[in-house]
Amino acid sequence: MSQIRQLPTHGRGHCLCGAIRFEISGPMRDVVVCHCGQCRRQHGAPPGYTQAAWEHIRLEGEKALTWYRSSEKARRGFCRICGSSLFWEPIGTGRVSIAAGSLDSPTGLKTIRHIFVADKGDYYEIHDGLEQLSGSMLTASPA
Amino acid sequence: MSEPAKNAAPEAAGHCLCGAVRYRVFAPLRPASACHCSQCRRQHGAAGIYTGGLPVESVAIEGTEHLRWYQSSAAARRGFCGRCGSKLFWRPMDQRTIDIAAGSLDQPTGLALAQHIFVADKGDYYEIVDELPRFPGSNAA
Repeated sequence: MSQIRQLPTHGRGHCLCGAIRFEISGPMRDVVVCHCGQCRRQHGAPPGYTQAAWEHIRLEGEKALTWYRSSEKARRGFCRICGSSLFWEPIGTGRVSIAAGSLDSPTGLKTIRHIFVADKGDYYEIHDGLEQLSGSMLTASPA
Repeated sequence: MSEPAKNAAPEAAGHCLCGAVRYRVFAPLRPASACHCSQCRRQHGAAGIYTGGLPVESVAIEGTEHLRWYQSSAAARRGFCGRCGSKLFWRPMDQRTIDIAAGSLDQPTGLALAQHIFVADKGDYYEIVDELPRFPGSNAA
């Protein structure tokens, strides 16, 4: 018998230097790892993201937050002082993906899926048995 | 720092997401390490993956005016692109070497992940399931 697991509804996080801090007071999605070339370039590694609604996020230190428009659909937020990758925002959705590494431990989250595995780097393998999609969650068929 | 021969073929090359910072590597890449330390996880937003220990003089960097360095500890500083935030380099303060974030390398890299380090600081939101060597801290003896 498996117990139904409650997803966290509260989280805190900050960048490496502490200039940008945030608090999430609302439902958080489990972690999805993105292997697309853009994510791997910007993070320097494949990142795992949770997601929440902007209206549930309180942000401090916004002055240090720099946004880079990485595609027509999305922008990426990072700290101009320490370079920490914090946010991926699909523009106009009211939601934001939050890099799991920026969250304080324990997060209570689990990794549930890999996306854009068709663009995976050649320098690592995915061994965990989780669902893999060749592209995004909206358009991809299972890899 | 001596300049690598400009017409030699590089062993590897890479760039940040926006292309403002580009580099070429004129030395063989070393096997990659996944670093699970909390500093890497905060800055990368994920476990860092680096090919490390390259002689600094073997890496030719263009667009250095966009490269920003953050001193993350007494031991090291981290280089990223000020325009797009891409993580590129980790450089110890007291050595003449540089580590390169594997995600910034052009494919194919020919690299293979060889080990996990600082697994004692791993995040709770993922598991390490491969059979590679794991070290609670650095792998230095």
